[in-house]
Parts: sequence; C-alpha cells; structure tokens
Amino acid sequence: MLTLGAKTSIPVSRRGAIQIGASAILGMSWDRLLAQAPTGSAKSVIFLWLWGGPSQLDTFDPKPNAPSEFRSPFANIPTKIPGVHFTELFPMLAHRSDHFSLLRSMHTQSNDHGVAGTIGLTGSIAGAVGLDGNPRPGQARPTLGSTVAKVRRMQGGLPSFLVVGGKLHQGKKPIIGENSGFLGASCDPFRLEFDEEKGTRVNALDLGQGLTPERLDDRQRLAGALDDIERKLQKGASPWTEQMQQAYALLLRPESRKMFDLGQETPAMRDRYGRTRFGQSCLLARRLVEKKVPFVQVNWSDHVEAEEDAGDGGWDHHYRNFQIMVDRHGPWLDRSISTLLDDLRDRGLLESTLVVAVGEFGRTPKINEKAGRDHWEHCYCALVAGGGIKPGRVIGTSDARAERPAERPLTPADLGATIHQALGITSEQSQSFGLATGGEVIGELF
Amino acid sequence: MVAFCLAWSLAQVVMPQTGQEEKARQITSDGSFKSHLSWSPDGKKLLFTRIHKGKMELCSVDQLQGSKVEPLVQPPPNTPHFDGSWSLDGKQIAYVHDILQGTDGKLQINIVNADGTQPKVVIPHKAFEESPRFTPDGQKLLWVSTRDGNQEIYSFEITSAKVTRLTQNPGFDNNPNIRRDGQRVVFSSSRYGNFEILSMNMDGSDTKRLTNHGSLDIWPSFSPDGGKIAFTSNRTGNYNIFVMDENGGNLAQITNNRGVNNFAAWNPSGEEIAYISNKNGAYEIYIHSLRK
Repeated sequence: MLTLGAKTSIPVSRRGAIQIGASAILGMSWDRLLAQAPTGSAKSVIFLWLWGGPSQLDTFDPKPNAPSEFRSPFANIPTKIPGVHFTELFPMLAHRSDHFSLLRSMHTQSNDHGVAGTIGLTGSIAGAVGLDGNPRPGQARPTLGSTVAKVRRMQGGLPSFLVVGGKLHQGKKPIIGENSGFLGASCDPFRLEFDEEKGTRVNALDLGQGLTPERLDDRQRLAGALDDIERKLQKGASPWTEQMQQAYALLLRPESRKMFDLGQETPAMRDRYGRTRFGQSCLLARRLVEKKVPFVQVNWSDHVEAEEDAGDGGWDHHYRNFQIMVDRHGPWLDRSISTLLDDLRDRGLLESTLVVAVGEFGRTPKINEKAGRDHWEHCYCALVAGGGIKPGRVIGTSDARAERPAERPLTPADLGATIHQALGITSEQSQSFGLATGGEVIGELF
Repeated sequence: MVAFCLAWSLAQVVMPQTGQEEKARQITSDGSFKSHLSWSPDGKKLLFTRIHKGKMELCSVDQLQGSKVEPLVQPPPNTPHFDGSWSLDGKQIAYVHDILQGTDGKLQINIVNADGTQPKVVIPHKAFEESPRFTPDGQKLLWVSTRDGNQEIYSFEITSAKVTRLTQNPGFDNNPNIRRDGQRVVFSSSRYGNFEILSMNMDGSDTKRLTNHGSLDIWPSFSPDGGKIAFTSNRTGNYNIFVMDENGGNLAQITNNRGVNNFAAWNPSGEEIAYISNKNGAYEIYIHSLRK
C-alpha cells in the first residue's frame, strides 16, 4: 500500500495511484472552450531557451562597419538570404537560412535576467522578481508552455508540456514564470533532464541507484524502482504530487520509457546533434514531438553563467565572451539547431513543428573591459522555423550598432502571441483564461 | 638555459597534403567537453581543461594509457580553473583560476606543482587574466589581460612581479605561444578585422602577420624546433588543424573531417600533434602522427 503525502491522507495502492495519475493526465473535466481542439499551422512547438542572453552581434546580426569597440571580431559569412550575413561561427545555420526566419528587432523591458526571463517565458512582466528581490506588480502569468498545456490536452498518458532541462536560476534565485501560475499544477511542465552519464532523468521522481527510464528495461528492475519510490513516499519524504503521479504512470508504460531513451537513436544521429547537453536535449525534444507532445521547452542551461554549474553553461558572457563563443557556444548552437531542423524536415515534422530559439535579452553592443558583453534589453534576435511559418525572411532591423530596433520593433509578448497563433490558440481563448499576452501576432511570418 | 637539442627533425616529418584524411589515435573516451591542450615536456602526459558534471577543471591523462583522466589540482577547487600550460622543466603548471563572486567571476593566474600540490596565486586579479605561458627559462610568464581596456599580451617576471605590455592595438590579442628558444611569440589577433595569426619578438617588437584569410585563425602553437606553427582555422567551413612554416608559408591541413578540431599541441619530439575533436561525437583527445 502506498500512503499519499501531505496533500491527501487517503491510503492507496500502487495500482490506485497509477489510476489517479492517469486520470490527472487525461484531465476529465474540460470547459466548453477546451472541447474545441484548436487548429493552427503547427501541431507542436520546440522552444529553445537560450538562457543568459546571446549577443546579437556575435550571432545573427553582425555589424561589420561598426567601430572596433562594438563590432564582433568574427568574420561575416553570407547566408542563403541575399544581403543577410551571420558571423562565421554559424556556417551550418547560414547554409540553412532558407529553412527559418529571423527576428532582428526583439526588445524587452528589463536587463535583469530574472525579470527579462519572466517576460520571455510568459510575455508579461507581471510578478517578475529580479536580483533586487522586489516583485513587479501583478500576478505572474503562466509560462507559454502551460498555456498550451491548458488548451492542448494530450491523450494517451503523455504530458502536453515538457521541459528538457533543470529549473532556471540566476545566482541562487529561482525565476518566476517557469510554471503554470494560476492555471494550476495540472499545467505545470513535466521535467526531463539529459545527464551525460546516465541518460534521461525524470526530475519528479528520484529513481535512485542511477536509474533512468531507459534503464528500467526489465520488470524486476522496474518493480524495484517503484518499490523504492513507494518506500520514500511512505516515509513522508515528499508529498504525492500530481507531477509524481504523472511520472509514476509514465514509467509504467514501456512506450514512454522508450520515448525517453536516446539509446533508441543511432550513434550517428546522436553525434549529428552534438554530444552536448543541449544537443542531446534537442534530440530528446524531437522524439517528444514525434509522439505529438504539443510543447517542448529545451533549456540551454540552468544557470545564466557560462563557467558555473549546470551542464553547458549559460550565455551570460560578461567576460571571455569571444573565447567561449569560439570554443563552445557558437559551434554547439550551430550544430544542434541545424541538425534539429534537418531531422524534423527529413521526418516530415518541420511543417507541423514550430521551432523558436531565443534568450531573455541580447548583449551590449559595446564590448566591455573584460572582453565580454553585458546585458542588453534594447535589441536582440530570435530564430523561428517550421510550423507553417514562412522561412527565409528577416523581420525587423536593428540600427547601425545593433543597439536599438530600427524597424518593426518586436517584443516577447509578440512572439508569444505568434506561437499561440501557430498552434491555433485564438486570442478569444487566451482571454477567456486570462492568458492574453498583450502582444500582436507577427503577421509577416504567416 | 634549456637545451634545444631535438633528436628528431621536422625535415623527417611527412606533412599531409591538403584534403588528405588524417590518421589519429583516440586518447580519451569520457564524453566530456575538453579544451586547452598542453603536452608535458617529458611527453608522457597531456594537460587539458574538462567540463564534467557541470564543473570546469584542469585534468591530465597519460597519453599512452589514455583512459585514466585525473583532476590536476589537489584538493580540487570548487571554482572553475582552466587553460593550463607546463614549465619547460616539467615541474610546474600555470593556469587560470576563476574566483566566482555573485553572478560574476574574477580571473587570476595561479601556479601549481606538476603533481597538483601547492597551488598559489602569481598574478592576482586586476582585470581579466588568461592564457599564462612560461618562458623557456621559467623566469617569466606571458599572459593575456584586459587591464588596459581590451585583450593584450603582457609579460610578468615571476621574482620581481614586473609587468611589461607587449601588444598595443584596439583589436584582441590572445592565445600566446612561445618558441622554445625564447625569442619569438606566436599569437592570435583581431586587429585586421578577424582573427589572424601573428608573431613578434619577446619584447613585442618586429610583429609579423602570418595568415591573411577571411576566416578564423586561432590557437597557434610552435613546433619544438620552432620551424612550424600548428593552428586552428575554419577556412574549410568547420574548425580544422593546419600547419604552416614559421613565416606563414607552406600551409598543410592536418585534420580533414566535419567536426570541430581545435587546440593543437606538439609532442616534445615534434613527431606528433595532439588535438581535441568532436569528429566522432564527443570532444575527445586525439594524437596525429607525422612520422613517415
């Protein structure tokens, strides 16, 4: 028998718990709006969250004629879009520039990771908390994926919103806006994490003994892992949350364990994505949308900093920016996104999968005295592909030093509204949930 | 003074023709990201930076036995430390230590015994200090600092702490590597608009441009006899290892694959070049033989 934790005191068997989990996943009570399955140009979204904020000048908006203290030291290379250049760190993406579109006039309201992160993930500054510790007015909005989860309920036991990566933070402070907010726990992201040694981790459940879903390959090992979870629950170590119910139910299904198992891929395919956390996480995201998960978010890192903990390190390159870009972040991003786009296209999934890559802001056009670039909220880039959007376009332009938008300024709220539009979530639906981003759909993309 | 007698001459080395597939043996296989490769003067170990389980640290590996990767500094610091290089007598290693403060970091230059004991600060953080390299006599370090506004190359006398600035221009000057006779330095510079390979005298005079290509040329490394320079370039579209004469002529491509190939390091005899590549997926160390 499994005793549920603090949320309820109903004793329940493992089988009963599984039934509860399945019920929670399937969501038995929907209002009238939800009964209408939305139809849009995209069936799924892969949201690549470049935490820390990549430089616009060192990636997709180089300014070779800017003064030396501004311009990137990297050479420019042509893309397939006439007149559009990237830095030389992105040759693979330059070669595929006819498969995606670029937003070069993004801007946001804050240069604090925490605040800008909340805006980037929810489309709103409401409830954001920065390093100053002061909450911005209003209730924090649900993150984009939770909104999608509210509207696009999965059938068949899979969560409709998965995050591949750990919880975001700057310093030791968590970020507001990663979760479902007022939509409730049923719309919280279901978290997976790629571990370079062990494989895919299900964060909601500590499987112990280094076990990951793909290693639960026989009944005995699976039963042992589940018994272990039950023992921990009986000790009252943690409440029996809806997330745990979901995870528990998923682990019982061979097909979901298989879905999480990157070992199902050929070594050559895994190599193509890059044997980095981000690369393998992108591959996992592709496996998830293949199973029709509506929204998958991939976090480049947990922490904003490049040299601290958490996998590949973030994009917050206050110092050593150019070295890190050359040695790591440039080649990694170039390879992973390029392969993701190729792989989705080869499988016939790109037309139905919207891929968005963006950080919370850009970086100072003027190079600082630490061979780095600092936070810059006034201008940055986003990459958008698939999901029925028109590729090979550049929407918006920046000024001569990529300091400010020159034409067609765009916001995270606009990007959020565009994602909703692609998925067929109407503004009426959004408003009915109190979820309107306040942004305008970027119509040129459709 | 260090003797420069090399039992082996590069005249006996066969440089591969451009486009020829490389022959290299794989040394590591742990799957973690690696960078900043440096070969021990006795030819037995390779020193490198590894990011493993979210931590960035200096490690070494026996180049013959390969699989046993060990953290260098003991006890291992909790903060990132990277980009190590050996003194020519093999007794010490200079490296960059990142002191994390809040959400930022401060770089300083440390020296540690080759067995990883007794780390100590030699160049405290003043600006952002990187890429320390011992001069062959062990009396000085060349390193990169932003103390005058952007990355420049400086020398530091270890006993007197005297600092001399060697480069002065608005571009980035970095990745220094010293010829074994202690007379020339090869380095990367963005002063021409993108990163090129240059060389100069040890006092910063007589700067010569060695590459002139609209692509990235970085991480140069003198061969032991000083006649050749290995470096990384993306002129083929991806990063590959090249070798050229010390005057920039006679270019040869060493690696020829679609991965990232970087951080060339010569073995003491000049017969082999170690490098880091993800050509087979993960970033691992390979050794390419130049023998006939």
